[in-house]
Amino acid sequence: MSTWAPPVKLSPLHETARDLGARFAESSGWRIPEAYSAPDAEIAAAKRGVALADETANGKLQVEGRDAETVWESQVVEIGGGVAVGSERVYRLRGDCFFVSTSPGRDIAVRRALMDRASGRFVTVTNLTHAFSEIRVLGPDAPTLMSRVCGLDFAAAAFSDGAAKQSSVARTTQLVIRRDAAVLPAFSVLGARSLATYLWEILMGAGADLQIAPIGLGAIRALESR
Amino acid sequence: MSSESIPQAVSGTDAERLPPQSGEVIDRNARVAFTFDGRDYAGYSGDTIASALAASGVQVFSRSFKYHRPRGLLCCAGQCPNCLVQIDDEPNVRACMRRVEAGMAVRSQNAQPSLDRDFLSLTQLAAPLMPVGFYYKTFIRPTALWPSYEQVLRRAAGLGRVDLSSLPGAYDKQYLHADVAVVGGGPSGMAAAVAAAEQGASVALFEIEPSLGGRLRFSPSHSSRMATLLATMADRSDIEVHTDTAVLGWYQDNWLAAAKGSRLFKIRAKSIVVATGAIEVPLLFDNNDLPGVMLGSASQRLVHLYGVKPGAKALVVTANDDGWDAAADLAEADVEIAAVVDERRSCSSATAGELISRGVPAFFRHTILEAVGSKRVQAARVARIDPLGEADRSAARRLACDLIVVSVGWTPDLALFHMAGGESVYDAPRSEPHPTNAPEGIFVAGRAAGAHTAACALDEGRIAGRSAAASSGFGDGPDASEAADLQARKAAEPVRTSARTMVPGRKKRFLCYCEDVTDVDLNTAIVEGYDSLELLKRYSTISMGPCQGRMCSMNTVHLCARANGKQVQETGRTTSRPPLMPVTLGALAGQNMEPVQLTPAHQWHLEQGARMMVAGLWMRPEDYGDPVAEVKAVRERVGLMDVSTLGKIQLTGPGVPELLERLYVNQWRKLGVGRVRYGVMCNDEGIVMDDGVCARIQKDEWYMSTTSTGATAVFEWIQWWMQSGWGDGVHAVNLTDSYAAFNLAGPRSREVLRKLTDRDLSNGKFPYMRVRSTRVAGVLCRVLRIGFTGELSYEIHCPASFGLHVWHALMAAGEEFGIGPFGVEAQRVLRLEKAHIIVGQDTDALTDPFSANMEWAVKLNKRDFLGKPMLTRISERGTRQRLVGFRMARPDHVPEEGLQAVRPDGNGKQEIIGWLTSCRFSLALGETIGLCWLPANVAAEAGTPFQIRRDGELEEAYVHHGPFYDPAGERLQT
Repeated sequence: MSTWAPPVKLSPLHETARDLGARFAESSGWRIPEAYSAPDAEIAAAKRGVALADETANGKLQVEGRDAETVWESQVVEIGGGVAVGSERVYRLRGDCFFVSTSPGRDIAVRRALMDRASGRFVTVTNLTHAFSEIRVLGPDAPTLMSRVCGLDFAAAAFSDGAAKQSSVARTTQLVIRRDAAVLPAFSVLGARSLATYLWEILMGAGADLQIAPIGLGAIRALESR
Repeated sequence: MSSESIPQAVSGTDAERLPPQSGEVIDRNARVAFTFDGRDYAGYSGDTIASALAASGVQVFSRSFKYHRPRGLLCCAGQCPNCLVQIDDEPNVRACMRRVEAGMAVRSQNAQPSLDRDFLSLTQLAAPLMPVGFYYKTFIRPTALWPSYEQVLRRAAGLGRVDLSSLPGAYDKQYLHADVAVVGGGPSGMAAAVAAAEQGASVALFEIEPSLGGRLRFSPSHSSRMATLLATMADRSDIEVHTDTAVLGWYQDNWLAAAKGSRLFKIRAKSIVVATGAIEVPLLFDNNDLPGVMLGSASQRLVHLYGVKPGAKALVVTANDDGWDAAADLAEADVEIAAVVDERRSCSSATAGELISRGVPAFFRHTILEAVGSKRVQAARVARIDPLGEADRSAARRLACDLIVVSVGWTPDLALFHMAGGESVYDAPRSEPHPTNAPEGIFVAGRAAGAHTAACALDEGRIAGRSAAASSGFGDGPDASEAADLQARKAAEPVRTSARTMVPGRKKRFLCYCEDVTDVDLNTAIVEGYDSLELLKRYSTISMGPCQGRMCSMNTVHLCARANGKQVQETGRTTSRPPLMPVTLGALAGQNMEPVQLTPAHQWHLEQGARMMVAGLWMRPEDYGDPVAEVKAVRERVGLMDVSTLGKIQLTGPGVPELLERLYVNQWRKLGVGRVRYGVMCNDEGIVMDDGVCARIQKDEWYMSTTSTGATAVFEWIQWWMQSGWGDGVHAVNLTDSYAAFNLAGPRSREVLRKLTDRDLSNGKFPYMRVRSTRVAGVLCRVLRIGFTGELSYEIHCPASFGLHVWHALMAAGEEFGIGPFGVEAQRVLRLEKAHIIVGQDTDALTDPFSANMEWAVKLNKRDFLGKPMLTRISERGTRQRLVGFRMARPDHVPEEGLQAVRPDGNGKQEIIGWLTSCRFSLALGETIGLCWLPANVAAEAGTPFQIRRDGELEEAYVHHGPFYDPAGERLQT
């Protein structure tokens, strides 16, 4: 057997991004679309209407069990709510089921830590990083775009920043998390990895009249820092 | 047909355009060129097609449905069918609602050969031979000729033409949410929206017209009131306004559907204000459909919104003050008023007094008898109303005019309210239905509730808005005294609607403009026994055309009541159903959303020229161009198949063995860590629903695989039973997308895999039906040594994000061994040679494990499992049919799957005894083999002959038991 270098992880949208002319960067073991065009143009597009970004590289964990809540020291929010715990964000999907979002590459370490904390209790921590794609829809028209593919009410009063809801999006099951980018409304749509290309194309089609544009993680970083 | 030609305007002139009007919606600085029936015209931006054509003097817009009579503008509000036109490939467009656009190619409909000279208007001559119900009675015999009749009728009587070759447009849907939805953007609707928003409710308002204001837009006396309302609306960010949006229907729990062009809105509202206004009703008199006969509100729209002069000399027929207002507006627009004919004895309207003082002839206690003219109005005959209330034809007088404006009353537009479960009661003195028994969360305001004056409509809107807000949890609602005061003011309003629906005569009086139904037709139908409103509607097709009863409904009820000697209230009304306004099928369908699942190696497959097939939602390679070579590669060397589509479910916890015992028909409790077992899953009726393998990864961690198309159903099935009491100590997670999976199969597969892993792959260390965690090409994978192909094989499951990397590594490592990818078709052959079944192909909704030759898997000695009672009974009584292998007598004949298995019945005929589920030519065996269902007694003995009926011929086949290829399974376990 030959020695293999650690391979790079690819998003299910890798080919789509490549076809759109993305420039890639490698980070935390992932090949990530850094930009599709000039960063300033991408930032402007997101601020003007609505933009899509591939954030599949984010870590995704599911913590399930009657005692799941006890792996966190502080009280975790009500069903549908989310809270930052350290550098992670924890969302309560059911009374006994939580979703944990981590930054890229942190999934394995966080899972290990959670399992250690759950030791002795019947709690299952599953790494779903490879199971789910994560598409970020952001911009002032993000609620409008989302309302074209999903029956939820995306108004800020009904779907506040940090909230998470499971719903049908474009006839597929998805977890929708409101994660505003500074002042811009933004929603992360997480669902089966195999459906990512389909969902991306549906969103791009539904947003055609909103001047939708793909943006890279460089633009996301800039938008979130403002 | 008369030799008189329809006068059409000189193309592009603005002969009938008035000087700029206050409140007009056109931009006189922006000309818009378009064509109508091939001729060039020009309007202004903001014009509708109808107003632009009317400004150029066009009077005839369409031909009627049955008699092909010329039809002109009647309502100018999208309520009638008179101006339906075709725009490019889009049929049945309301010309009075669609704004004109540059380059539009507008065509008239239902006219042959032209709108000017329509030869099918000759059908009028045969009208006495074509009474109502004529088609039903005439074209039923001989039945065989119906296809021919149908073609002729469709050509003769129809609307627009659908162009099947045109490309579909872009359509989509959008969900909207509001505390209060207001339907109608007139004065009461706007007032309701503001009032609800002031209470803190989020409001969505829907208006079918391009701008808000309703009738205030063409009532100059209310311009300041309207400006105030619009300014208030504009200031509020909590009111979402959707103009050009038609509400199509109400559904359970205040769910509204609405269409705006190519977009369908789905609206969830806590409460709804119905402010849909009222529809001006036509009057039935001789030739009441002649171009030039127009409703009063239509003439006002043309003048005030579009600056179009509707005619040169007008007769106004009225029964209320609205008609005098229309007459005043026309006079202001330089239209000569031939006379105002008012069926009342007198009126106190200041407008009437002013017009009379200016010399406008007024005939009180008179009505119209007939519109005179063949293709357009040339005059009108009017008569006095005698003491009995009938028109005195003996004293008729003729008045020259080219425009007859009819304004005799209004009917509230309550269709949406009725759809929501509301009722209405007929107010005989006012000749109008009034809404009553409003369902919870539904409120009616404005003219729809009988508030005809702007002041009452505004107040009622405010009350309805506050009531709706309170119903949605905002504010306390209005005081009861406010509502009582309003009701008193409404009751004091003058009567607006005449009870006179029709003036008898000797010519055609059209009740239903859509279907060309006259009052005589209606009476004929009633005489024939169709005397209930719903039957009458179905028999005569009244109210079933494009206007959906807007123009004819109320008049039909009146005439039906009169003919039956009943009251209007007891006659009832027809049922309101969605869509209230026509909507395209494209808008209903929306954006094409057909989910497609792709595996991590999808792009690679495409690049290799794979022919893809759909399996459930998945796209899978069926083959890479040569399935026979793919089979050969697996049998002789090594092949690689993408099986990422397999369902994969993680089960954790101490309760898993017990759950598996119940879900599967076979045993699981004793399966050791690192072992894999094949399982069959049945439903509670003992029917096979899925199969696959399950691996015990750790003591409390199991990894289940399912068929590709069964993953979601099996996962839901497991969750169902877990929530039904079998879930103690178990957590289930669907990992189908988490892992890519590749089947490395063939005698050289071990050598390929060995190049990529440190794991000892020898038979002793990694035997058949085992699972190991190991790094493959640097990626931590789960490797299962199982096989569906009958060869030594490994199923390699790796995290999906590494899927393409592992696939590439396997292909590269296998290059020296002649590896090739293989698709579903090759797999079908390979598994058939081993007589492995495919659930869903070889089984159906009646297949149990015993009849499918899987009795070896069923452990009836288990305490309990799904399907056990039924399977116990089957095991006791035996099966009638069995799935069994067969070989063809002629090795090169490959019958199609689904063909019938037969045998002689002893009477010289063939008896159907079964059917084929799988059949392929096996290169390895040199013959055609398959699986089929046969009676148990036929299937019992290997070598038993039977026949297969194929294209009328019988082909011989023989029963085969067990695998066709490598029956001892030596290759699999080598």
